[in-house]
Amino acid sequence: MPEHAGYLPGLERENAKWTQKSYGTEGTPLEVLLPSLETEQLVSMAQHIRQQATQHLKTIPVEQIVEAIDRTIARLLDRQDFHRRRMDALLPTVTGYDAEMVQLGLSGYLKTFRKPQLRRFLAEDFANPAILDSFQPLAKGGFGRAFSPGVLGHIWAGNVPGLPLWSLVAGLLVKSGNLGKVSTSEPLFAGWFAEALAEVEPALAECIGIVWWRGGETELETALTAESDIILGYGSNEALAAIQARVPTGKRFLAYGHKVSFAIVSTAALDTDKATATARLAAYDVARYDQQGCYSPQMICVERGGRVSPQRFAQFLSHELAAIEKKFPRRKLTITEANALASWRHDEEMKFGGEIFGDETGSWTVSFHMAESNLMPSSLNRAIRVVGVERLADVPAMIAPFKSLLQTVGIAAAPEHLFQLADALGNVGVTRICALGDMTTPEAGWHHDGRFNLSDLVTITEIDHRAEFAADRLAPYAE
Amino acid sequence: MDCDEITAELLSFISNAENDDDAFEVLAHKVFQYQFENNGPFAKFARSRGRTPRTVKSWADIPAVPINAFKTMDLTCCNPDQAAAIFMTSGTTQGGVRGKNYHSTLRVYDASMKMNFQRRIMNGQKQMEMGILFPTPDAMPNSSLAHYLNLAVTEFGTRESGHFIEDEAIDFKRLIDTLRDAEGFGQPYALLGASFSLVHVLDELHKLGAAFKLPEGSLVMDTGGYKGQSRELNPDDFYNALAQTFGVPRSRCVNMYGMTELSTQFYDDGNEQCPSIKSGPSWIRTRVTDPLTGSSVPKGEVGILAHTDLANFNSAVTILTEDSGIETDEGFILLGRASGSEAQGCSMAVDEFLKVAGAA
Repeated sequence: MPEHAGYLPGLERENAKWTQKSYGTEGTPLEVLLPSLETEQLVSMAQHIRQQATQHLKTIPVEQIVEAIDRTIARLLDRQDFHRRRMDALLPTVTGYDAEMVQLGLSGYLKTFRKPQLRRFLAEDFANPAILDSFQPLAKGGFGRAFSPGVLGHIWAGNVPGLPLWSLVAGLLVKSGNLGKVSTSEPLFAGWFAEALAEVEPALAECIGIVWWRGGETELETALTAESDIILGYGSNEALAAIQARVPTGKRFLAYGHKVSFAIVSTAALDTDKATATARLAAYDVARYDQQGCYSPQMICVERGGRVSPQRFAQFLSHELAAIEKKFPRRKLTITEANALASWRHDEEMKFGGEIFGDETGSWTVSFHMAESNLMPSSLNRAIRVVGVERLADVPAMIAPFKSLLQTVGIAAAPEHLFQLADALGNVGVTRICALGDMTTPEAGWHHDGRFNLSDLVTITEIDHRAEFAADRLAPYAE
Repeated sequence: MDCDEITAELLSFISNAENDDDAFEVLAHKVFQYQFENNGPFAKFARSRGRTPRTVKSWADIPAVPINAFKTMDLTCCNPDQAAAIFMTSGTTQGGVRGKNYHSTLRVYDASMKMNFQRRIMNGQKQMEMGILFPTPDAMPNSSLAHYLNLAVTEFGTRESGHFIEDEAIDFKRLIDTLRDAEGFGQPYALLGASFSLVHVLDELHKLGAAFKLPEGSLVMDTGGYKGQSRELNPDDFYNALAQTFGVPRSRCVNMYGMTELSTQFYDDGNEQCPSIKSGPSWIRTRVTDPLTGSSVPKGEVGILAHTDLANFNSAVTILTEDSGIETDEGFILLGRASGSEAQGCSMAVDEFLKVAGAA
């Protein structure tokens, strides 16, 4: 039976049109029905969500929302739970990623949305999270309260399982209604989360609408931007520019574009006894979701002069990637992706003079370059350039031209280097620095692309401290 | 073997109507060896793939040179300064870097073109009146298509034939007058040109409300796709519009598939049904490959096209295209470009990076 995508509060399933799409392979086919709404249906859904959020979300303390999300996540962490079993069974089919990799990845990811992590998430952006519930004293004097958008519009992209959860949870925490469009390449997760939430706290799920349309259907996209108070968009620069063009002036559009991330390995991590472990961590970062995440490394800069040379390190890395391929095979590539990988391999070798390590079928590729080279993305799908560098301090200058495109840097270095490099890297636009091996698992409350995930979504209404005194003078008990 | 010897062998092969598998195999090996011995960058490339004249047992073992390599390597067996012609790609991708196909002589290219054109387009006729919707070789000296179309006119066109593009503009008035004359004259007429120019003509004629009923035996040949120079039509709409506007049945609307990086063209037998099946003469063969392993995919599956063109003897006998296709009994179905891969997730893909970094 085909799986329904989406979550449509206030709209009966039979009143919506559905577009059927095939996923999976010959062996494991999967038919998915994607909701295909009329513009009027989308508009009335937005109005429904706005009204439900006003009634059920804005009236409860944020702690209660945290509780509801926590209980939902607890269900999804339970491998026996119906919703979780469905995710484990179907997300690998939809995305093509290795099943065990998806399952492990999902558990690690969901853990960052449990109660303690959600509270950290709140504390990260609000010195006093109660500011979301009522007017709270401000440090400068007076009082302030955070007000959220009635409807937050999300336009998601890509096939990394669970990605929509970030902005959905952020929207809920600030008490906003949420109307999100899923991507065709992974249309299921967001709707399932809403279904699970509905079983825990039905009223909250009424504040979430999950819809879909084919990319480029401008009428629905225009309606979404018109009905939302703030719009969050993910995707390529081209896609974001197209959304931006539809957002009315003055409305906040938070764009999360595609990014490039890379890794740095210092000689401290290249002792004979440490180099294997370092390579294993790097290989894990490369293999997870086949480098499709914006936090996935596309290049590794390796310091020369260690016990293990950069070239040896490239070989160690190759060995680890080969081992991972056995355990978590890469997903089957489309002909376009295979062609892009083949032409990247060719260019790395013939144009840029790299030494290529890779298996015959191209399931992983390491391209080694003896000398410093500019940052250059790989063709993804487990293809990585390893570059030898004389001094780690040279790396920031290499990447400086690409300031607006940078995100995560995974570092294997001693504390002194970590902080020295962090200054220089932040200065050229890097927004997240983490340990090698942790690149693909951002911690709870991280500042995605250097932004404030929650406080970017609210407006603060202030009571000027002088208003208090002025009011005092008008009190019936004033002298 | 020197340039004259290999040229002579190729000319003889091309003029021979019946060439069997063995003959192709023998000459393919000779051309590969010729390139291996006379072109340093090619030999280096072949060695990096573990292919030398000793290890190559069949034409299918010849390593396929990616078309990108025509941008970065000097693929020529003659001194580049002494090339009789250098045909260049349009350079619309990769920051305007143009791929170059060097020709030490055009004798083989021209023989290949003429022999094949006569059989597939002329259909037994000696001459036809032709209209060309593409600039002349004088205007575009590095365009293989300009050379090809000019060759068609000079070899097979009647005296009345001519080009309808001058100073980058289509002379609509002269074109319409000519087509009206052809209607009345009653002899078959051939309109040949870039697909996007034909779209411009269709749009203009539609605006004017003009349509023609060209005499029986007439044909329209398009090539090259739209390249962002006109609106994009799906094949059925395009061929329906051609058929309606010129009064030529879809079975006489032929598509030529050629590449700057080759010296031989493929044709279909009209586009009554789309997608059509493309095929070439006995001196070119196509494999549908897995681009990562280079091996052929099972018949019926989608892969990347690799062409082994013996006439391409001065540059690279086998090239790996960026076109996807499917092998059939009679040839192959061309599915289109398989490039510009977008990331599936939120990671930045190479193409986007180059675009953004280039603009930064």
